[in-house]
Amino acid sequence: MTLTADERWDLIEKISNKVVTFGKFKHTLKDALGELTVKPLTGIPIAITVLYGFWSVFSSFAGTLCTDGFFVKLFDGHFLPWIQSVFPGVGGWFYYIFVGDPAADNCFEAFGVLTSGLFVAIGVVLPAIFIFYLMMALLEDVGYMPRLAVLVDTIFHRIGLHGYAIVPSILALGCNVPAVTATRILETKKQRFIMMTLLAIFIPCGAQLGIMQEVIPESIGIVLLYLIFGYFIFGFILNKLVPGKSPEILIDVPPYQKPMWNNIARKLRMRLGGFLKTAVPFVLLGCVIVNILYLAGTIDWLAKTLTPLLTGWFGVPGETVGPLIAAFLRKDLAVAQLSTIEMSKYQMITSVVLVSIYFPCIATFVMLLKEGWKNLIGSFAVLVTVIFLYGGLINLIWSLLGVQ
Amino acid sequence: MNDRIGRIYFGVLGIVTLIFGITDLIVTMGGNDFSWGILEISSDMFRGGWGGLIVISAGFFYLSSLKNFLEIHQLSKALMASILIWILAGTDIFVRITESILGGEEGPWFNSLEGFLGTYTPPYPPVIFLLPFSLVILFFLSKKGKA
Repeated sequence: MTLTADERWDLIEKISNKVVTFGKFKHTLKDALGELTVKPLTGIPIAITVLYGFWSVFSSFAGTLCTDGFFVKLFDGHFLPWIQSVFPGVGGWFYYIFVGDPAADNCFEAFGVLTSGLFVAIGVVLPAIFIFYLMMALLEDVGYMPRLAVLVDTIFHRIGLHGYAIVPSILALGCNVPAVTATRILETKKQRFIMMTLLAIFIPCGAQLGIMQEVIPESIGIVLLYLIFGYFIFGFILNKLVPGKSPEILIDVPPYQKPMWNNIARKLRMRLGGFLKTAVPFVLLGCVIVNILYLAGTIDWLAKTLTPLLTGWFGVPGETVGPLIAAFLRKDLAVAQLSTIEMSKYQMITSVVLVSIYFPCIATFVMLLKEGWKNLIGSFAVLVTVIFLYGGLINLIWSLLGVQ
Repeated sequence: MNDRIGRIYFGVLGIVTLIFGITDLIVTMGGNDFSWGILEISSDMFRGGWGGLIVISAGFFYLSSLKNFLEIHQLSKALMASILIWILAGTDIFVRITESILGGEEGPWFNSLEGFLGTYTPPYPPVIFLLPFSLVILFFLSKKGKA
């Protein structure tokens, strides 16, 4: 049956009369609260408060309660002495790979697959990832995230992105792997390239944050500050250099609503499952490879060869070569390994920043490759430039301040 | 329901909140913790510095809600100020909860009853004192809902 234009309009009118209720729009309390969260004058203090609450709950749950309160005692006080005594072949290479240093009195220093590997994956990273994704899902379900996107839209336009870039940026604070996939919500190739490059270089994942909170709690603010500055400075430069368009967005902001616990549980289960499948094997594999490289003398050789570059340009000890190799497998593992190297507070800050901006972990690398090899090569080129420029700049700042 | 009562109440609460926030910042800049009776202000950059800025924002939200207090947009500002205080106080309470359950690195697995209760004794940060007073907004909201 074919309808004429007039008949179609008549039909539309009949349907709309039945389904649309006309009346005067009245602001509700939810609407008024929603407006407060998107206006910069009121929205910025609210965003700061939300992030404050986020970080406070994250550090006290993952750090104080789970890792320091429970897992350190379990692993260092019970598991480590037990496995050191029952594992056969003390002093052999097999023992070294799986248990690590037989004289170590804590799991950070032992560096075996079954000691540091399990402790980092289960004792430090898992609680951090759990609480991060729980709060993230809560904010999504309440309806705060789209408002945050509106609030930060102007700032993100300065680096060629738009408000929705906040979604992959915050997701990357949990794990870079789903964040790379989330860059697909950006419209143009230029935006996706900038976003992938920035998150692979400048955004530390939840696992790394958990380790940093454990190893360098007093310097974590400075490390994050360096990364945030880098994110925007290099974002601004990339926006000028990369050809392509950065279109505006039109966001449909849903009303605030009570969180649905079923939704939150499902999201949490899915994200935690993904993390356990992709990250834990890499942590254990990382321990194996780094220990084999140590045993073969490769790391000592690399440390000697690269010492002039590492100490001269970046101002960090040659021994950081080991963690930099481990960083390719897991960055959290690398930060844990850095904590066992003797260096000053400022060298530690530079080293942690270097590990953060150094090549993305292998899981992220695979995801970048899936998004296209051209993007990967481009990101790699930016990354090498950033490491040398930014790493050298940080060293220069410490030297000028006379604190190196 | 009287608009005037709301204005006076949240006006006073806004000024007190603002004073607490400014004190938080001054103590943080001074670098030494401040303790007076059951009140304790931390000089830690995170709790004192960022926390102080948030308390000041809450104070401004309360004060900006006074004109035509019962109008929905104005009432939402007072509610938002209370939400800011609830988040701050909630995280402070959560920190105490996480510290109270386990026995510490050298101690037993779980805290003793005395140790557990001891974590909740004073002194408290300013925002804990503001918490019960900020809850009054719920009364005004329920009255507004019935009206």
